[in-house]
Amino acid sequence: MSTDEKQAVRPPSYGAGAPDKDAFTGRNGVPLYTRNGNQNDYRTYEVYQRERVKEATDKIRPIQLISPEFIKDPYPVLEILRENYPFYRDWLGNSFWVTRYDDVTSIFTDDANFETRPKRWFYGIEDLGRDLGQEVPVLTAQAARIDANVARIAAEIVDGFRANGGADLAIDFAARLPLELLACVLDLPKEDFPTFVDRYWRMQRGAMWEPKSRQAGLGAIQELVEYFRPILAARRARPGDDLLSAIAGLDLEDGPATAEDVVVTLLEQDHETLHGGIANMWLQLMTHPEQLDLVKRERRMVKFAWLETLRHSTPVVTANRFSRHEVERFGRLIPIGALLHCSAAAANRDPRQYKEPDRFIVGRKDLCQREPRGQYRADGLPAGLAFGLGKPTRHPAVPEDRPRSLYALCRDTATTASNVLLEALPDLRLKPGATPALRSLRLGEMHTCWHLPVVF
Amino acid sequence: MNTEPFAAVFARALGADAGDLTEKAADGDFQDIFPLMPVGERVDMGSAPDGTPLIDPRIFFSAEFRRNPWPYYRLMRDHYPVYFNQLNNTYYVTRYDDMTECYFDDIGFNTIPKGSSNGVLGNVTHELSGVEHRRRRNLFGQHLVGKALENRVPAIERLAQEMIDDWASVDAPWCITNGNVRTIELGQAFADAFPVRVVCDVLGFPKEARGNFVYWYNSIMGGLGASETHKQGMEARQHLEDYVESIVEERRARPTFLYDNDGNKLGKDIISKLCESQVDGDFLSTEEITALIALVVAGGGETTRGTLMNMWYSLLQKTDQAEAALADESLWDAVFHETLRHSNPIGGQPRHATFDVQIHGMTVPAGSLIEMVNFSGSHDERIFADPDNFNIFRADLYTGKLLRSGFRKEGKCSHMAFGVGPHMCPGAWISHQEAVVGSKILSRTMKNPRINRDRMPKDIDGVSLAPIGINKTRELWLDYDLT
Repeated sequence: MSTDEKQAVRPPSYGAGAPDKDAFTGRNGVPLYTRNGNQNDYRTYEVYQRERVKEATDKIRPIQLISPEFIKDPYPVLEILRENYPFYRDWLGNSFWVTRYDDVTSIFTDDANFETRPKRWFYGIEDLGRDLGQEVPVLTAQAARIDANVARIAAEIVDGFRANGGADLAIDFAARLPLELLACVLDLPKEDFPTFVDRYWRMQRGAMWEPKSRQAGLGAIQELVEYFRPILAARRARPGDDLLSAIAGLDLEDGPATAEDVVVTLLEQDHETLHGGIANMWLQLMTHPEQLDLVKRERRMVKFAWLETLRHSTPVVTANRFSRHEVERFGRLIPIGALLHCSAAAANRDPRQYKEPDRFIVGRKDLCQREPRGQYRADGLPAGLAFGLGKPTRHPAVPEDRPRSLYALCRDTATTASNVLLEALPDLRLKPGATPALRSLRLGEMHTCWHLPVVF
Repeated sequence: MNTEPFAAVFARALGADAGDLTEKAADGDFQDIFPLMPVGERVDMGSAPDGTPLIDPRIFFSAEFRRNPWPYYRLMRDHYPVYFNQLNNTYYVTRYDDMTECYFDDIGFNTIPKGSSNGVLGNVTHELSGVEHRRRRNLFGQHLVGKALENRVPAIERLAQEMIDDWASVDAPWCITNGNVRTIELGQAFADAFPVRVVCDVLGFPKEARGNFVYWYNSIMGGLGASETHKQGMEARQHLEDYVESIVEERRARPTFLYDNDGNKLGKDIISKLCESQVDGDFLSTEEITALIALVVAGGGETTRGTLMNMWYSLLQKTDQAEAALADESLWDAVFHETLRHSNPIGGQPRHATFDVQIHGMTVPAGSLIEMVNFSGSHDERIFADPDNFNIFRADLYTGKLLRSGFRKEGKCSHMAFGVGPHMCPGAWISHQEAVVGSKILSRTMKNPRINRDRMPKDIDGVSLAPIGINKTRELWLDYDLT
């Protein structure tokens, strides 16, 4: 290879001393690089097409989206996407990332073009059973039992560690409460609780890319089916007011409910977001003493702390959608079957929606102060995206024929339980020296606080 | 309430992650999870209750996989003929027969433009399907086969000889003469530039453009997909287009010709021919010609470079085979094909499912990305005996003239490096000529060539040479005797 070839590995436009700049002279002696800058130049359709995708995404490497840093703290990377490449094509993950608030909600509300695939699809067990979570008797039983028991269970949990002078709120409170509630809603025998928790968590964590967890999850699903089979039969014979009795009593078109249906229903509606929401809220309150004081002074602010938590540190980083057919969005043609990562975490910190989005401000004025469902906006304000990431409900906010939405139920549960905690331990504070933080255990799992040591 | 502390219950539910709740780095480095294994062995990623080995999709990002992919591909072929990699949202088809079937069904497994080249190649032929693809492909494909190709062989020989003759006078770190022994780095001395010179020559571009072509093809190949190099790729594409555009306009008015070694006209060069090509009575637009050329530039450089390097690297590690090939020039065809079977420079080709399809009982939804893993197909033990072994004398590999229909006859199959079917690499035949003609001339020049092991990168044991894996041989230091 001769010397001129070695040097020419840099292009003409790269730096001083570039080689044959004059080689890029077009017809009539006009330098082509100048001519290309001219927007009035005629362009064929093909050239236009190519320039349209000419989005050099050199501020990010796709491997960053699966890196350990991203698992720990996704916000810096998501900010790069949101501010530079709002509709990012992730070549490594064969997917698109949607990161701005209006874009994300436009996908969530567009049920005609984008579908959600159930956890059963990821497990490859779509035929296992039916998801009965939207049946009105099931919703009614669930809401009734939660409302009746949440204060009592929260009080019992707090009493359990009250004498210790300290606790790990993330585990002893946030992780425990939803599971105890779930066991109560199902009315399971107390001695079964540890095995139930074990199976339930394995099942929920298995619907992921990680093959070992998937195997464990498939095993747990089988165990749960066998576990629920006799219980369901017993409830059918002697119904109570619990969720299993409601499922057993359903009058379904294609046969009575089975134990498989029970497990599928449990699989598709998880408790993790309630767990993550409570843990994240208490992390923020513990690390923002002034906000904690505010909440202590005015107990109605607990609800606002909850809403602000869902915005500021949502446990759900992204939600998946798949395009049902070829559809044009955000200036791009999205092919059929494409995977879209709609990032709630990125949308929730969109400066186009929120002033100082990285700050945790209880009762902030630019956040919708109602349950974040429906149109994602009410009173002209955006709501934090955490769960309820679906098409807007067609039911009124306070429906007569069914209980209030699961999202409202979650909010009330978290608020009630947190009020119990505040009541019982008025001088709750972070253990000195502790540096709690948010993180996911694994890529794609909930982003939450796993250790929150407190003293009182 | 229960007697067992909840923290213990919860820790059990989290399993292995329970001890990991503190502030240590999530998931750690892939290097920790997937240590480098001796070649041929693989990391144990666990197994299902029925004994099926599991695949952790993070393995595909690891250094271990890049250097030692074959055990993992075997695992996929044996246990997951269609493997869904959820982390990359991609399905992999890994068996030879399945891939062949998919490649021939270019309606069910389409190549419609989804921007898989991310704009870097422009409006390219390999992103078209069916009639549209066939028409455009035949327009330039015809210049790279048959008589048109034969006409180019003298030029290929001349270019190779020129480069090799230069070694005698060159003073560079990659060419050291010490007494009767000369040490060269084959990449810098020959393989890096040779394919580009051929492409330049075939396309009829002036010599002065060669240096830019090296840059163009490096940048375009590096800019595929999204990465920090994408922007450079797009800029290079723009430069290439600007340059080609002016050339094409010239050729429309004044066609140029190819000549043999004696200076006789052999016919018009490709661009001049393309300028007069018509589709449905309409001339090709300059943009269409540019897209074809971008494809030839990108496809004709790095692949042939990698093939040449891998050929010599693999062959010289097998003493008896090397002796045979250096003694009998007719064996270089076998070396070429066996290299492409054993370690071809292109890993696979993407396809998209047009409809929901069932393959081996697995439903692949419409629109899904399916990667046809050419690497794996060429190592399918259902087709090739002892596939991980490099052997130019193997009886089950077809080494004759490449056919778009693939080749399966009398127990012989062609390798998967070029794919098969309608989209089979149109440059297959010319790349064959480049690699074989180039190697023959090299073998005539270099007496007793051998690998200079001191200068070569080593494997993890620090002694044996680094395996090629899914990469291409980056550098190859050779010693040879001058007389």
